[in-house]
Amino acid sequence: MKYRTAHERIIFNRLLQLYLHYRSAMIQYKLIYFDVRGLGEVSRQLFHLAGCEFEDVKIPRNDEQAWLELKKSTPFGQLPILKILDAESQNEIEIPQSSAIGRYLANQFGYAGKTPEEKAMVDAVIDQFKDFLVSQKRLTLAVRTKKSEEEINRVKEDIVTPAKDTYFKILKKLLENNSSGFLVGNDITWADLQISDNLTTLDGLGIFVPSEEPILAKFHEKIMNTPSLKTYFEQRPASLL
Amino acid sequence: MPSYKLTYFDVRGLAEPSRLLFHLAGVPFEDNRIVFGDGTWEKMKDSTPFGQMPVLNVDGFEIPQSMAIARFLAKKFGFAGKTPEEQAWVDAIVDQFKDFFGQFRQLIIAQRAGKSADEIEKIISEVVNPARETYFKALNKILEKNKSGFLVGDGITFADLVIAENLLSLKNFGFFDAAKEPKLAALKEKVFNQPSLKEYLASRKESQI
Repeated sequence: MKYRTAHERIIFNRLLQLYLHYRSAMIQYKLIYFDVRGLGEVSRQLFHLAGCEFEDVKIPRNDEQAWLELKKSTPFGQLPILKILDAESQNEIEIPQSSAIGRYLANQFGYAGKTPEEKAMVDAVIDQFKDFLVSQKRLTLAVRTKKSEEEINRVKEDIVTPAKDTYFKILKKLLENNSSGFLVGNDITWADLQISDNLTTLDGLGIFVPSEEPILAKFHEKIMNTPSLKTYFEQRPASLL
Repeated sequence: MPSYKLTYFDVRGLAEPSRLLFHLAGVPFEDNRIVFGDGTWEKMKDSTPFGQMPVLNVDGFEIPQSMAIARFLAKKFGFAGKTPEEQAWVDAIVDQFKDFFGQFRQLIIAQRAGKSADEIEKIISEVVNPARETYFKALNKILEKNKSGFLVGDGITFADLVIAENLLSLKNFGFFDAAKEPKLAALKEKVFNQPSLKEYLASRKESQI
């Protein structure tokens, strides 16, 4: 859908809001994840961006018992899970895997990219982030299992930094080639939400230094200032990951 | 019809599901295979969107990342799932494969780096086998519930192609025994017996991965 004017975009958004409000009487969403940002946050943000109500179920990270109980009932033994309940038929569908959930919601709400080619580029950015996450996880594991400062620095230098260099190079190339300021196309997509959220995490881990990366810092600030997300960002609890 | 060029190394690897999609749909494409180790890749790397392969060129527009490419083609050709919910499940299964492959890759890297037999054994027992157990368990759970014999819905999707190709690779590496995994073996057979794939499969170049 191409918007000729900002006015059209505003009208479309309002119609989408009305539709989602009507639909929420018929379709209820429940997102289940741990009480961190992690891989659930992009889906939370999509609901807030679209102004769509949902039940934001947060399982305490340190409550092993609660998680083990729940784990058995999940399709893949993992979180997040999205549950979609059709209120009329009482039919419930579960969807596992954070990116599958994110893409599903992004498509429902109109934040997946406007053309098949844009959607493919959005998917490619998400996959690139997931590739980088493999290295980031080595660091967060070292921090969580309280490894020595020496070991943590070794992981940062030998594993995370080279991966970060590749990842940031790709992101900057996309931003430099797109005058809209977004990663793909002329409007915000879930790729922007995911990458921006990851930059928040990397800032906290000392891997992303805004003063050293002006292009990424400018992008991060742009997404953090998205009007329909500002209140959510201000109110949400802080978390390292 | 758009003109398609798929560029990847001369192996099955992460591009094979996309090659299969073209054959499944009967859509012509340029199957651009780069020979590993002769310097061609090093020279072209920087001109690709993400410095990686595969890359799909569609009328001059380039798409990187193997699964983004596969999903793009699957959606165009009708092999991505029939409803948004089915499509989400196809995506979830492909992500499950990628999670597993991220772990399995550690073994390939260790083997190529010439690590000791002890280190390799450690990776197998501590990383690969547990990851494979989780992965096979998830797939079997899905196949038990779906009467069609495919992973999602009533027809073949790119999730079936991705998993079948991975099972072939795991078999080559000695990590998939058809006798021990009858449901997975049945899926693999079902995919590789698709009529529109038979000609291609009969003549395609074999590769370990």
